[in-house]
Amino acid sequence: MFKKLAIALGIASLAAVGTVSADSIKIGFNAPLTGFAAADGNSALKGAELAVQQVNSAGGIHGQMLELVVYDDQASPKEAAPLAVKLITKDEVVAGISGSYSGSTRAAATIFQESATPYISAYAVHPDITRAGPFVFRTSFVGDVQGRAGAKLIGEVLGKKRVALITLNNDFGKSLAAGFKEKAAAFGIEITGEYDYGIKDREFGPIVSKVKSDAPDAIYASGYFFTAGPLVSQIRAAGIEVPIIGQEGYDGQKFIEIAGPASEGVLITTSLNRDSTDATTRAFIDGFQAATGNAADMVAASAHTAVLVMSEALKKAGGTDKDALRQAIAETSLTAATGNISFNALGEVQKDVQVQVVRDGSWHFHSIISDAVLLAPPAE
Amino acid sequence: MLALDLLIQGLVQGSIYALIALGLTLVYGLLRILHVAHAALFTLGGYLGVLVTNATGSFLLAILVAMVTVGVTGMAVYRFAYRPLLGRSPLVALIASIGLFIASEELFRIVFGAYGLSYVDPPLQQRVQLFGDISLSVARIMVVVLAVVLLTVLGWLSVATRTGVAWRASVSDPPIAQAFGIDIERVRYLNFFVGSALAGAAGVMVALLNNLVEPTMGAVPSYKALAIIVLGGLGSVRGTLVAALSLGIIEAFGTIYIGNYLDRDAIAFAFLIVVLMIRPHGLLARG
Amino acid sequence: MIYEMVVVTNMAIAILFALSLNVITGFCGQVSLGHAAFLGIGAYTSTLLTKSGLPLTAALVPAALMAGTVGFFVGLAALRVRHDFLAITTMGVGFLFVGIVRKQDALGGEIGIAGIPAPDFGRPGLLVLSIVCAVAFGAFTVMLKRSWAGFAFNAIADDEDTARLLGIDVPKFKLWAFVIGTAGAGLAGALYAHQIRYIGPDSFGFVESITVLAMVIVGGIGSIWGVVVAAALLSALPQWFQFVENYKLLLYGLLLFTTMRFAPGGLASIVDRFKNRSARGS
Repeated sequence: MFKKLAIALGIASLAAVGTVSADSIKIGFNAPLTGFAAADGNSALKGAELAVQQVNSAGGIHGQMLELVVYDDQASPKEAAPLAVKLITKDEVVAGISGSYSGSTRAAATIFQESATPYISAYAVHPDITRAGPFVFRTSFVGDVQGRAGAKLIGEVLGKKRVALITLNNDFGKSLAAGFKEKAAAFGIEITGEYDYGIKDREFGPIVSKVKSDAPDAIYASGYFFTAGPLVSQIRAAGIEVPIIGQEGYDGQKFIEIAGPASEGVLITTSLNRDSTDATTRAFIDGFQAATGNAADMVAASAHTAVLVMSEALKKAGGTDKDALRQAIAETSLTAATGNISFNALGEVQKDVQVQVVRDGSWHFHSIISDAVLLAPPAE
Repeated sequence: MLALDLLIQGLVQGSIYALIALGLTLVYGLLRILHVAHAALFTLGGYLGVLVTNATGSFLLAILVAMVTVGVTGMAVYRFAYRPLLGRSPLVALIASIGLFIASEELFRIVFGAYGLSYVDPPLQQRVQLFGDISLSVARIMVVVLAVVLLTVLGWLSVATRTGVAWRASVSDPPIAQAFGIDIERVRYLNFFVGSALAGAAGVMVALLNNLVEPTMGAVPSYKALAIIVLGGLGSVRGTLVAALSLGIIEAFGTIYIGNYLDRDAIAFAFLIVVLMIRPHGLLARG
Repeated sequence: MIYEMVVVTNMAIAILFALSLNVITGFCGQVSLGHAAFLGIGAYTSTLLTKSGLPLTAALVPAALMAGTVGFFVGLAALRVRHDFLAITTMGVGFLFVGIVRKQDALGGEIGIAGIPAPDFGRPGLLVLSIVCAVAFGAFTVMLKRSWAGFAFNAIADDEDTARLLGIDVPKFKLWAFVIGTAGAGLAGALYAHQIRYIGPDSFGFVESITVLAMVIVGGIGSIWGVVVAAALLSALPQWFQFVENYKLLLYGLLLFTTMRFAPGGLASIVDRFKNRSARGS
């Protein structure tokens, strides 16, 4: 028995030979390329690849090319953690970017922080991600901030005061709900009922019935396109006409495809304005359309932004020393497709919240929530 | 009216469970095999429903194509997966079935993509006002109607036609039935065809209700269907139906009222474990 | 070298986990489709302890004890139901575990627990600890198999009623099998949690239960060395080859199916066939 084990172990160590491509700077990238979140992961990857291609064709980082080392984490933290270890110990990346959801990003972040390797979360919202330590940054909103913006959007901008809360029971949904509830009273909102559902649920019959009997003026529902799509269409199918407000989890064409006509008029808080006239944003949106043939979405834009932040910092740091890189990232100040990026002490950004609405089968500009005090990210 | 609304939700969900679980109980009754891979047939039905509707615009055609194709696939599963294993311990077939199921989920992903498919123009979306405040989409009503129709037809066929009687005889007592000259093989193929076709129909309807087909959509129904047939007493058609509808209703109320303590899917299993401890052969076991 | 250490540590933990199921399903013939729940119990128990300051070494025994205790109760269920029903009941236990954990904020709920403290002795230390645990448990099962208990297990696996007639205290041995097996899983769970540094309800679901069952089946139910090899290979392959990682589930599914179809005794039976053939042939 022991001999067999020894042989097995021997074979194991043989296979652990890494490949090195000289003279490129390697950045780790984890995203859900398969599994339920695959649409978002692949979109984020394309956004990141577009950015890498743009950086490299403009001369790279002082002549050295940028290279993404991509792994599929299936939006699962238990897959992401070992991948992070692999990126750092086997592929020896200089830094990492997460193109994935909160759960996996959070698990990977603690690993990156521990090995003092810079890590940027492109769009994952859970507050604990940056709390992993000074090597972790985030280029998008914290869930709580977005939730607060949602409260202002519903209570003040739309003037609806009785709101039903439907929450996806995971990092993403819970942090959004926390932020929303925190500021609900300040905007005169009364929460008529709170319901949660699991990420695998597609049948919302009982919740929809209960919400209908609550008779709210608006519904604040968190989810991803594959849950929000069925949810919204079931809500409308039950005859509930009140406004539905979602968040960036809905952001993308897939949601509209699934919910169909029910998606008309749905509002979301997000960070990409498709109708933007800003040059950088337009360059990204048009560039993405040209390169992939698909419409850009928030996850692609966020990943694109994260890569740009990383490349600017690499140029400034003038080398691949991880501490110097971290310092350079912390001092970032640039304008990208998802807004103006600069980090506070915790590694969080402060920027306006875009509100988009579905009109005629695609996403369009609705309004902007711009309230520095309300949208201040956590500082610790 | 909330209670009534939830009850109706429960019946709709229960009808779906019934369509899926029935195939499972038919197979168990005849072969004593827990046919976990049954859920893969459900998923296949869902994909076919979407693909055919999107390609031809006819939902009716899609249901027919799905049911027939899935039914035939079910027969193939019997022929190539289970028949060679008949002499062995039922555990072997169970594990082989689990392996088949997991592999097929992955195959769906590889063939149809990871993103899931949707109906381009979902049919049956109009809403019908029932009583009071309650309105249901035609699609939901269809689920219940379809279940009732299919099961009634099946029930009638099994008493009124020779094949049906032969089938019932084989399910109750295979050796005696064989001794009477009934072609057991034909009955088995028929069994798999019917059970799988029902699951295929369920798949088409679920795909319609959610407007989303995913490679893993069969996972949860497969586990629940197992819990259901055990609850109903393995092999008992009536028991399965009762258990399926009961579970649908319990889940509908449970999601709202105990959803804070227990996951919706765990409710089915909690129920199951409790029942099995009291009646180790299921609620309405046959002897 | 660090990456290699990670791979080997994962292998050792997988071997321990598979050997523990081998006691229940392999030796004693009690099918368990929910074994990952016990991995989970060990993982959560040890995590709660280390997060409140205890060193990992002190958390190992409580983790195993906790899992073994719950295993005892599940074993009681095994006394009530058999075969297919047992399979479904254990599957139900697995789902129940996940369903309950999902809703407990104290256990991290849906989100799970990240940032589990690294053990003081670092990766090399964890590697050694995992190997020691796997080897120790393996040696224990070898002894078990050769003992009177092993004979009793075997008899029960073969034919429970006959075993009873022979005077074997079937309930007692079934319970022992469950307690030993689940405690082993709990130990593996504690090591797993501190290796991956993240645990959540998703880490211990039905797929994980099937994965470890696949290792036992492919290795050959009851065969210790077969299970060790199968566990080592199946856990290492996805880590060596990204291609295998991408199609991991497909591979497991096909393996389970083809093993059952063509060699239900697993690797062990294939090797036995070779041995017999060469013994007879020459």
